[in-house]
Amino acid sequence: MSSRGGKQKKGNVTSEQEEEEQPLQAVLVADSFNRRFFPISKDQPRALLPLGNVAMIDYTLEFLTSTGVQETFVFCCWMSNKIKDHLLKSKWCRPTSPNVVHIITSDLYRSLGDVLRDVDAKNLVRNDFILVYGDVVSNIDVSQALQEHRHRRKVDKNISVMTMVFKESSPGHKSRCEEDDVIVAMDSKSKRFSMGTDEFEIRHDLLDCHISICSPQVAELFTDNFDYQTRNDFVRGILVNEEILGNQIHLYVTQDGYGARVSNLQMYDSVSSDMVRRWVYPLTPEANFTDQQGQGCTHSRHNVYRGAEVSLGHGSQMEENVLIGRDTSIGANCHISNSVIGNNCTIGDNVVLDRAHMWNNVHISSNVEIHQSVVCDGAVVKEAVHLNKQCVLAYNVVIGPNLSLPDGTVVSMHHPEEEEEDDDDEFLSDDQEVGHSKDKTRQKAFNPAEVGPEGKGYIWKASMNDTEDEELAQCLWGLVLNPDPESDSESEASEESQDRTFQLEVLGTLQRGLEENIVCDNLVLEINSLKYAYNITLKEVMQILTRVVLEYPFQQQGTQLTTLQYTGSLLPLLKTWSPVFKNYIKRAQDHLDCLSAVEELFLEQDTHQTAMVKVLMKMYQLEILEEEAILKWFSTGATNDKSRQLRKNQGKQRMSLQRKESEEDESSEEGE
Amino acid sequence: MPGADKEADLTERIEAFLADLKRGGCGTGPIRGSGETARETTALLRKVTAQARWSSAGDLMEIIRKEGRRMTAAQPSETTVGNMVLRVLKIIREEYARSRGSSEETDQQESLHKLQHFVHLKANVIEAINELLTELDGTTDNIAMQALEHIHSNEVIMTVGRSRTVEAFLKDAARKRKFHVIVAECAPFCQGHEMATNLSKASIETTVIADAAIFAVMSRVNKVIIGTQTVLANGGLRAVNGTHTVALAARHHSTPLIVCAPMFKLSPQFPNEEDTFHKFVSPHEVLPFTEGEILSKVNVHCPVFDYVPPELITLFISNIGGNAPSYIYRLMSELYHPEDHDL
Repeated sequence: MSSRGGKQKKGNVTSEQEEEEQPLQAVLVADSFNRRFFPISKDQPRALLPLGNVAMIDYTLEFLTSTGVQETFVFCCWMSNKIKDHLLKSKWCRPTSPNVVHIITSDLYRSLGDVLRDVDAKNLVRNDFILVYGDVVSNIDVSQALQEHRHRRKVDKNISVMTMVFKESSPGHKSRCEEDDVIVAMDSKSKRFSMGTDEFEIRHDLLDCHISICSPQVAELFTDNFDYQTRNDFVRGILVNEEILGNQIHLYVTQDGYGARVSNLQMYDSVSSDMVRRWVYPLTPEANFTDQQGQGCTHSRHNVYRGAEVSLGHGSQMEENVLIGRDTSIGANCHISNSVIGNNCTIGDNVVLDRAHMWNNVHISSNVEIHQSVVCDGAVVKEAVHLNKQCVLAYNVVIGPNLSLPDGTVVSMHHPEEEEEDDDDEFLSDDQEVGHSKDKTRQKAFNPAEVGPEGKGYIWKASMNDTEDEELAQCLWGLVLNPDPESDSESEASEESQDRTFQLEVLGTLQRGLEENIVCDNLVLEINSLKYAYNITLKEVMQILTRVVLEYPFQQQGTQLTTLQYTGSLLPLLKTWSPVFKNYIKRAQDHLDCLSAVEELFLEQDTHQTAMVKVLMKMYQLEILEEEAILKWFSTGATNDKSRQLRKNQGKQRMSLQRKESEEDESSEEGE
Repeated sequence: MPGADKEADLTERIEAFLADLKRGGCGTGPIRGSGETARETTALLRKVTAQARWSSAGDLMEIIRKEGRRMTAAQPSETTVGNMVLRVLKIIREEYARSRGSSEETDQQESLHKLQHFVHLKANVIEAINELLTELDGTTDNIAMQALEHIHSNEVIMTVGRSRTVEAFLKDAARKRKFHVIVAECAPFCQGHEMATNLSKASIETTVIADAAIFAVMSRVNKVIIGTQTVLANGGLRAVNGTHTVALAARHHSTPLIVCAPMFKLSPQFPNEEDTFHKFVSPHEVLPFTEGEILSKVNVHCPVFDYVPPELITLFISNIGGNAPSYIYRLMSELYHPEDHDL
């Protein structure tokens, strides 16, 4: 074929020409290795889910072919048979296709890292290759980036390992996936990731297209570091080891062109609406770029696309940005806007569809309202059903009449419990037979309260196996920030529980110290190590220590102590542990903190407030606390009534204290 | 087998051509002009005639029609493809009629005569297609040769956007005459900039103006010379967007509007086919994607073409000479057979 006219150049064949003549290769990973589209992707792999009535992998392959890729390796893991069938029937596997597609399947892939290690092991790529996922929708012309990449590698002798393609797009744009939000530090001149050079910019206006131009070293690096699982691991590894290995990663930022990855349902919604509004020209619905028979549609005003044999009832309006597949019939007085409807659907009368995504063979009865939801193949929605935002009806689900589904409901024919049992075999149970046999054994009854009187299906909760207190709830539509008051207190509680544990540990230490007569230095050592283990600040250590010591008599002898007994047991303890205190109370601020801890304790222990003076006295005598600190504390305003009372009580004793001090001074002076 | 190889080769070339049409020239490589498209289509059709298996003129016409339908479906707004298919069909009819005798044949039923003339028919058709190709090669030169009759010294000429035909026309006149050209930049693609650069390289005094200034400047203009993408059957134009503005401004000031269009752009379509008339590309040119939040609240369209009614046009200059818009119907009947108008 004329495109492979490499044989013409003989004679002075330099290595440059050889590189250019070699066909451009691409690695397409048709499995996302995560379960963001469960339960939809339980029946159909993500790469085959329809976007604008065309499977997503077709968009990726078209993007690669129009860039000039001549050899593509498609790696599949989950439901690889379906992907293989689809590709063999498509135009990519015709003999006249300029892009030769090789399909490689294996059940053992668990991550992008595994795929690239396989690429290296099988020695599939000879030269720079393009790495994409199977759900990337783009019309970016990558040839410029490719040229820059090749030039850099030639000039710098293979230092640049990867070029990542980014698109400029302001933050908060609805086509920016919130999970993928990235802040990039790059060197403005050479366009590589770095922070160490003179002129670098920090950019938050970049959208990651998940398209990378990789050198053959990338596959080798993945084999060397077998713990790299995702692309992020790889990037981090390269950047961290930049000085040692000298590899660099560069960026290509494009303003023209559109590129996005459908990583969750939120992105599915925005990429689908962008496609209908022709941002991905020339991959538009009426272009029928997959060359399938009967797939063509006509493009009318306001981005309304109608397939062949579509019938529209009387009074129905297709307002704007609507794509309707062939053989679909729509009833009377319907109002459709910003929606995509598949082939062979039947829609009843008085239906309102807004931002709805319906796949093939869906049957919708009259008086239904659907807002921002996904309805998969074969689903049936009966009369007077109201689907609120972000609902998902998976394959073959039936939703009964007169029902209103709340926001974010996911209904599937697969029972969610079945899912948990399958956990271990989630990727290995690729065979449909395994799944079906389990279906037969547990046919649980459908709950009419959830899916309506004639409904069929089970409601799925969002991923339950994740950690308990997550503020970012992982729901099917992407990460949702939960400004939950409960979760705030939870995080506080977790801090408190740590303090509590530390307190108990300190108590244990002191007890052991008493029983085993451990030297105070060792006690200090122990408390210090506990401080590091529980990540407690020095101030808190000291306060907790004070608290523990002061509560110690209560711990040992119960809370029914008289003040006298209390002071009787406490004061010797203070003497024993005074070196420990002195170790932690060194600066003026520490004194005040200790005093506030003492105050706090005695505020709680109302009955023993008179003991406070004695405690303070003892502490002063033991030189744990300085008199200036005590006086300062006394003179600072009390924060509430109780502490004011406390101070009043101490007031008289204060005077006596001062007198005692002056006596001591005098006596010491007289002594001299 | 060489036969099978050739067929596979032919199919591959057709597929590649279709894919290129569908992408609208948006992939790698420069945007294709209509002349290029016309030449490629004709070359492909010649190959089909040479390599496909057919035994009578009717068969051949059916094959050409089938391929033609596929090619027009790939990019409906690119009418030169369809035009070339119709020209080839007309050629086949003519050659068949000539080989049958002097009179026009009314029916196409198979008969023994056809088999005898088959070999000659094939050779004649291929030769006629070669003539068509030569004609296509020479269209721009033929049009440019007429420049001196229409452009006089010290005239101010206005044009819109970029047309290779008009560029050649003006460059030819500039060899002997001195005149001034005003180019409307033609947003959002702004191809007028490239046109102005090329004209100034040929030492023509050029000014670039924004589209909004067209009416203001029109009073100073002597003639308006524009190119077009298609000439429709009623004499109207499907031209780059912004042309209708220029035409209306010219009519208001009674400035003559001259359209330079080669014959292969003449199409039997009328302007009432809503769905296929317009071509909308990515709204990126109008409102860039980086704008962010506003995009979800606003509908943005970016049409490529404009319709200009025939009343606003003064003269068509084509490779066979100058004609009034009301004469277009005659030219059409000479180029295409009425039965072929619907592929």
